[in-house]
Amino acid sequence: MSKPELWVIAERRLDHIEPTTQQLITKAKGLAGDHFKTVVILLEATNDHLEDELKAYGPDEIRVVRDDRFPTATDAEHADALEQLVTKYQPNSILFGATITGRSIAPRLQAKLRTGLTADCLDLRFDDDTLVATKPSYGDNIMCEIICPDHRPQMATVRPNTFVANTAEGAATVTTDTITFHPVDRLQVKAATPVVNTATTVGDASRVVALGRGAASAATIDTATQLAEKFGGRIGVSRPLTDQERFNHDDQIGQSGNTIHPELILTFGVSGAVQFLVGMQDSQTIVAVNSDKDAPIFDVADYGYVGDAQAFMSALLAQFV
Amino acid sequence: MKIVVCLKQVPETNDVTIDPVTHNLDRRGLAGVMNPFDKNAIELALHLKDTADDDVQVALLTMGPDDYAESLREGMAMGADAGYLLSDRAFAGADTLATGYVIAQALKKIGDADLILFGRQAVDADTGQVGPIVAEFLHQPQITYAASLRLSGKNEVTAERLLEDTKQTLVAQLPAVVSVRSELNTPRYPTPRNIQLSFDKPLTVWHHDDLDLDDTRLGQAGSPTIVTKVYAPEPVKRELTPLTGTPSEAASQLIKALKGRQLI
Repeated sequence: MSKPELWVIAERRLDHIEPTTQQLITKAKGLAGDHFKTVVILLEATNDHLEDELKAYGPDEIRVVRDDRFPTATDAEHADALEQLVTKYQPNSILFGATITGRSIAPRLQAKLRTGLTADCLDLRFDDDTLVATKPSYGDNIMCEIICPDHRPQMATVRPNTFVANTAEGAATVTTDTITFHPVDRLQVKAATPVVNTATTVGDASRVVALGRGAASAATIDTATQLAEKFGGRIGVSRPLTDQERFNHDDQIGQSGNTIHPELILTFGVSGAVQFLVGMQDSQTIVAVNSDKDAPIFDVADYGYVGDAQAFMSALLAQFV
Repeated sequence: MKIVVCLKQVPETNDVTIDPVTHNLDRRGLAGVMNPFDKNAIELALHLKDTADDDVQVALLTMGPDDYAESLREGMAMGADAGYLLSDRAFAGADTLATGYVIAQALKKIGDADLILFGRQAVDADTGQVGPIVAEFLHQPQITYAASLRLSGKNEVTAERLLEDTKQTLVAQLPAVVSVRSELNTPRYPTPRNIQLSFDKPLTVWHHDDLDLDDTRLGQAGSPTIVTKVYAPEPVKRELTPLTGTPSEAASQLIKALKGRQLI
């Protein structure tokens, strides 16, 4: 008997693959073991070859469907195409990135299939054939494990940068398939313009200078910006600082913001709410500077300094060659 | 033109705890408030009402226990014209699919909604799924995470949608389902006059028998997903190396340590 299929729905980001897709392939391979076949579903235009950005991550199969309408297709059109593939192959589970696109298409497909979908997951595992999805609730203060025992496929959207993408041995088989594209004329994408300043989020940075309530003054932010440049990194903030005009959701670490795992994070004036800590604790090296010696951030840090954030930052900047 | 805004009532704070004995969420003493993101959807509806040439009627719709009427009253005090509450024990324990089903059936009964609006997601469960589910059940096009929306013609809206890297401009022939980003607008406060007026506005409660429902699709029984475990996340502790002395001394210790880790 053939193995049940575990799907990853590939997502496009301008002319490339959205990085969450590759992260999900690596995770899916780990989940699959010998029990599941990992299949990437890729909907692209006839002249696209986005599968070339996926092969190295080693899924068992990349199943490509080409139609020139896909790059500007609406959520309902995408969901319709995916439903046709689900009907044909009956996958056990389907994973989407919890991007805006994934979180829009997945529930539409869920409703068509009348099955369960768990949103914005931070972990996945299988108990036999049952997908156990860990989903944060109440602003990441609570974690829920959710299963969909009696309906197939099981579906989940997974928060970007929750898993790390790794290239893998073994050549993926690339196959092509067809669906009938059912256009929805009542909704048209009239224009799509790249938005440069949201192209990177704090989740994409390999080094992060994180600021919290204790490092929120304009002068401190300026010093932190210089420090981030020196380190080749990016500023990130805890939730209170997103109230400032210069920061938004892309800069936010933790709660329904960005889960990050950079090689280095320097936190200044961050006390360490649970949702923040959980969102950054997989960083390789964590440095914490806070004036409160009892701040929870010190529990997860490798290096800690109890003192003034601005003074430490300036000293670090002065000594940095 | 008829606009229906779907909303949810949520706990007033996300600082919920786990009961150490039952391992259930301890929501005792937490008052309910309207999901803040839903106010952006109401504001959009009221803005269209204020600015459209035609008469625009704004109705609010929610599913939940009887006290959810408070959020409907609040929305009517902001300026909405009517409220519908779907309240029945048979609806309890619904996941997004079963919730979307009942909402969609209620929208069919309300009838002729040109625009169905949702907030981007609820702040408690954070799924954002019910809007697209309702759109699918009603066979309507959807625009999620709209950053702007205006009437651009007879029965037509033009919306901008911000994806991670792209701004899309979409044109929809109504009816359509739209969920809105919170950056879209700043919700208005109820004025004393509107609060006064709201008491005379109709608040309709529909129970199970008032709607055309397939009982197998309701509540817990109609929900494919089950929550098997609820817990508070515990950050993983690390061994801390303290940096000591003056800021300058501590900075120099850090630079040495980071060099040791080949980070600089």
